[in-house]
Order: sequence, then C-alpha cells, then structure tokens
Amino acid sequence: MIEPKRVLRALAEHWALLEPLCEHFDQGTLSLNELRSQLAAQQLDSTPQDITSLLDVWIRLDILVPVAKSPNRFELNAQIHDFLAYLRREHRLGLCLEIEAYLRHLERLAGYIQDAFDVRDGNDLARQLRLLDMRVRDVLKKLANDEQALVAVAERAKTSDRQIPLRQRYAEVLATWDEYVEPMIQLVNADGAFEQGVRKVENVLLRMLTEQQRLGHLVDDDMLLRTHARILEMQTSAQLTLRHARELLLPLREEARRHNAVTRGAALALAAIRRKGIDAVPQAAMPLFTRPQSTFLGSASQVEAYVYALARFEPKPARFPKSHKTHKGGEAPRAPRTVREMVERCEDALPMPDLMTWLLEQEPDGATDELLYWFSRLSREKRFKRERLERREYHTHEHQVSLRSFALLSAGDTAAEDSASIPHAS
Amino acid sequence: MHLDLSELSQLAPIFRELFKGYHVSRRDPELYAQLSNFQDQYRTLFKALGFELVCDTRGFYYFVPDLAAAAVNKTAQRLALFTFILVEHLADQGRDPIAVLDGGSLGRDELPSLLEKYRDLFIQAEVQTQEELEEKIMRRMTQLGFASEENGVYRFLPPMHRFLDVCLSVQQDRDLAASLHSVLPLPAPVLIDEDSDEKLLQTDDPLDLSEFEGESEEDALARAIAEEQETDA
Repeated sequence: MIEPKRVLRALAEHWALLEPLCEHFDQGTLSLNELRSQLAAQQLDSTPQDITSLLDVWIRLDILVPVAKSPNRFELNAQIHDFLAYLRREHRLGLCLEIEAYLRHLERLAGYIQDAFDVRDGNDLARQLRLLDMRVRDVLKKLANDEQALVAVAERAKTSDRQIPLRQRYAEVLATWDEYVEPMIQLVNADGAFEQGVRKVENVLLRMLTEQQRLGHLVDDDMLLRTHARILEMQTSAQLTLRHARELLLPLREEARRHNAVTRGAALALAAIRRKGIDAVPQAAMPLFTRPQSTFLGSASQVEAYVYALARFEPKPARFPKSHKTHKGGEAPRAPRTVREMVERCEDALPMPDLMTWLLEQEPDGATDELLYWFSRLSREKRFKRERLERREYHTHEHQVSLRSFALLSAGDTAAEDSASIPHAS
Repeated sequence: MHLDLSELSQLAPIFRELFKGYHVSRRDPELYAQLSNFQDQYRTLFKALGFELVCDTRGFYYFVPDLAAAAVNKTAQRLALFTFILVEHLADQGRDPIAVLDGGSLGRDELPSLLEKYRDLFIQAEVQTQEELEEKIMRRMTQLGFASEENGVYRFLPPMHRFLDVCLSVQQDRDLAASLHSVLPLPAPVLIDEDSDEKLLQTDDPLDLSEFEGESEEDALARAIAEEQETDA
C-alpha cells in the first residue's frame, strides 16, 4: 500500500512543478529526457542530480508510471491524473456508453436487492443497497464531469482563432454531438435505457418500503429513502446535463452546418454562373430591393409633408348622377360625340381647307387630347382624300399645338379634282 | 391601430432611406432604435402607403418592392455574385466566410487579388477593373446599407444575411445542382436587366416616339392606317 500522507504531501509540495506537467500529460506521454528538460526549465537553479532525485520520489510514490513496453516514457498514474484533473477542473468528456453500462449495472443491482429481500438476507440487502448508492454516486460524478467537459468543448470552439476554417474549429463540437449528445438523447428518452433503469430501481425500492411495513424491517427505512432520493437526483441531473449540452452545442452545431451549406451554395452558384452565365442563379433566390430612386423629393420637410399627406389620405366620396334631378341652370355636360356623328359632320363640311381649324371651330372648348384624337381619326377616314398642309401653330383651349394639318376632300371627288389639276390652298 | 405621428420622430429620414433601397441596421443607431421601438406603427403606416417594411430578426429593416413590379436587377445580381466569390475566396484561404460577412471586414487592398483570381466571373457582371469593382459593387453595397467603408476597410453589416440566404437557397436548389451535371439549359428565368440603357429607354408613355425615330411622317401615317385597318378588320 502506498502511504496516502506521503503521496498527498508530495503532491502539495511539488504542485508548482506538477501542474504545468499535467497539461503535457493531458496530451500524451513524456520521455525521460523531455521530463528532465521540462523540470529544468521550471527549476533554473536545480542540478541534474536534484531532478533525478525528484523523479525518483515520484516514481516510488506511483505518481509517475512507466508506459507499458516503453520503459523510458512516463505518464501520470491514471488515478492521480483523474484526481489532478478534478482539482484543475479539466474534465475529459466520458462516453455515453459508460453511463449506459452503469445503468445496466443499477438494474442488475435492483434485481439482487429484490432477491436478498425475498430470502430475508439483511446483510446482503444492506451491502447491495450500499453498492447501488455508490454506483448512483458514480453516475452523478460522471454527469457532473461530462457537463464541465461539454462547457469546455463549447468554450474552445467559441474562443478559437476566427481565421481558421469553421469546419476545423467546430470539429470537436460536431464529434461531441455525434458521440455524446445524440446517444444521450436516445438514452434519456422516455423509453430509453436511462428511464427504464431508473423506473425499475425505483419500483424495487418503493415496493420494499411497503413490504417492510408489512413483513418487518430488514434495513433502516432511511437508507431506502436516501437511495431513492439519490436515484431521482441522478435522473434530474441527467436531464439537466443533457439540456445544458443541447443549449451549449446546438447553436454551434447549427452554425457549422449553416456554414457548410453557405460555402457549398456559393460554390454551386459560381459553378452555375461559370457554365451558364450570370443569369444562372434562379431569380426566385435573389433578394429584391427597392431600386434607388433618383428623382425624389428633396428636403426633409418635403418628405415629411408628403408622408403626412399620404398618411391622412382619404378617397373622395364617389358621386353618382341622380336620375330624378334635372340640372338647374348652366349647361348639362355634353355626351361625348360618336365617331359616326363626327364623320358625318365632317362630310357635311367638305371640302375642308384645314381639318385642325375646322375642329377648333367645332369644339372651341375641347380638350387638346380629344381634339388630337379626332384629328388623327378623321384624317385617316377612308371616305376623305387628304392633302398635307404646311406646319403651323394652332391654339386649343389649353395648349399651343404645332402640327401639319390636312385639307380634306371627298374621296369621290378625287378623279374630278385630279383631272382639273386644281392646286390646293393651304 | 392608432398612429401617433409625434412618436415617429424619425419618420422622414427613415422613409427617405428605405425608399432609396437602403437597409437600416444597427449602424444607424437612431433610425434603428426608432424602427425597433415602433416597429408595428411603422409597418402599419408604410403598409397603408403601399410599402412593405420587412423587419428581419437578424437586425435590419428594408422595403421589399411589390412582387408584381419587382424584377431582379443587375445590381442584385452583381452583389450576389460578389458574395459567392467572397465566400469561396475566404473558404479557399482557410478563413471563415460567415465570420467575415457577418460583421467582419475586408481590406480594400484585397480587392485586386480577388479581381485577378475571379476575372472570368467578374466580366460577366461587367466588372473589369478595380475602379469598376469599387464603383459598381463596393459603392453600391455601402449605398444600400450592406457594408460600410472606413479608411480603406469594408465592414460588412447584418443585411448581408440576405445574400448568405441566397447561398443557402442555391444549396437547397436541387434543380440547379442537377442542371450542373446535365447538358440541358438551366431552368432559370431570364432576368430583366433594369440598369441597361435599352431598358431605361423603354417607357409606357403613349407619346413616346423614340421607337419610331427615322420614320418619316408619311411612313408613320401609312403604318398607322394599316394598323387601324387591321384592327377594324
């Protein structure tokens, strides 16, 4: 047996030297030469003999153990390593399978407890209950350790160099998710091994409590109640660890997945554009934004007035004519003229020296667009022959129009006109 | 909903910026704070005016044009192309594209190498020189609120997510992926080039005569008559 006091004293005394070595041992083993140089770097005033004696003490106390089949390489004793990791809060993520194995073991222990109770073996029952209690504590310890390890995984991913590719940066997160969180989700599921195991143990303990009331006490009720409480604590703890793991890692995992999708999408789009041109990216995918307006109201107050007016916009009430009312005084609005009516009036006025002048006489108050419509329509009427006039200006009710008007004749007169060769006046 | 215009103290600048196609993000703290505090009021008011205000939870606001009136313009295509190029370039360099495009920065001095490396693609966006890259892409990005520029460093703003979303939707587009491996033409619609001169000259003005330039009045009349006869018939 190793003297615990001597081990603890050595750890306390050499903590300043051991702690930096822990980091190296976390990564792997160290050769004797590497160990010596590490220690020499930390203890500048020490002689090689001092270092040799120090290493000798560690080896004798089983703090350092030689690596199997490599007598010149050393590693920390696994128990000491775990203890130091616990002290340094450096947690290595365990395996989900370990927890599952513990759970199976708990189920088996529940079976043994039931058997011991059935044969009324008080000693065996107490022993099995202690074992169960210790196993539950192991699971709790593991869950706490894993939770710390998960926090560290997330922290490493978040704080690592932003310039390295996300795939590398989040490799640990993705691996942790696949190897720990995902199986844990299965395990802690309502129908998973965890819940089943807990329920089985709980049932055995609760039944035993009632049976003890009936058949007499083999063990103290408090012991059963304490174990039962610890089982429930373990169940809650597992759920909390899992929830915490999801909260920590899910966003990072999603970020990594999204990153992969973005990079792949960009590569895909560029490949398409290279092959098929810039229009290859489907229109539906493109962002739409309001086209910058070049002709916009200038000052802030104008904009404000514009928006304010729009905000308070109210449509004018529609007015419908009332059939029973007659117009009092003034002229009733005239119905628009039909093409037939206009063509007939025009025909009556032939020969017409200037169509536009005639239109202006007919409709002195007519709107310019209406007059131009009639000008266009009548000048193209097949019943008339037309003769282009010189450009001149006409004054409508609202505008001054510059155009080359037509003189109109009846199409039937054409032959006579041509034979007479009468020049048309402008 | 009751609208109290006195609450909307930044209405005019907000409207002016959004109307110009600008994306308001935290870079404009006053406008952004107003929009976040009175999001519903602004959205209702703008909706009544016929403008759809989009409030993106990733921290930016913009007007989305009417779907009927909207057409993907050359600018959107150019900016999307630039985003694709940048994502690939950064990934090639082992840098994190999302970290750069979501709040990160890019030095102006990185543009020449980018232009050189992706010359064949930039040509498709009518960008051939560094000046054109800065004018047609980087300046547009800053004008529309996708990036800001200070001392030769472009900082990308949250609205860049709109282009990252394009990458995601392209990635999910099975048609596009499939078409890359086939010889059939891509099932992409032809995009309207809003910025091209031809398009700008097109108008719905009935009095617009540019189409008939070079046609004598006699010819025009003859054509009009023929058209009319066709219609009558």
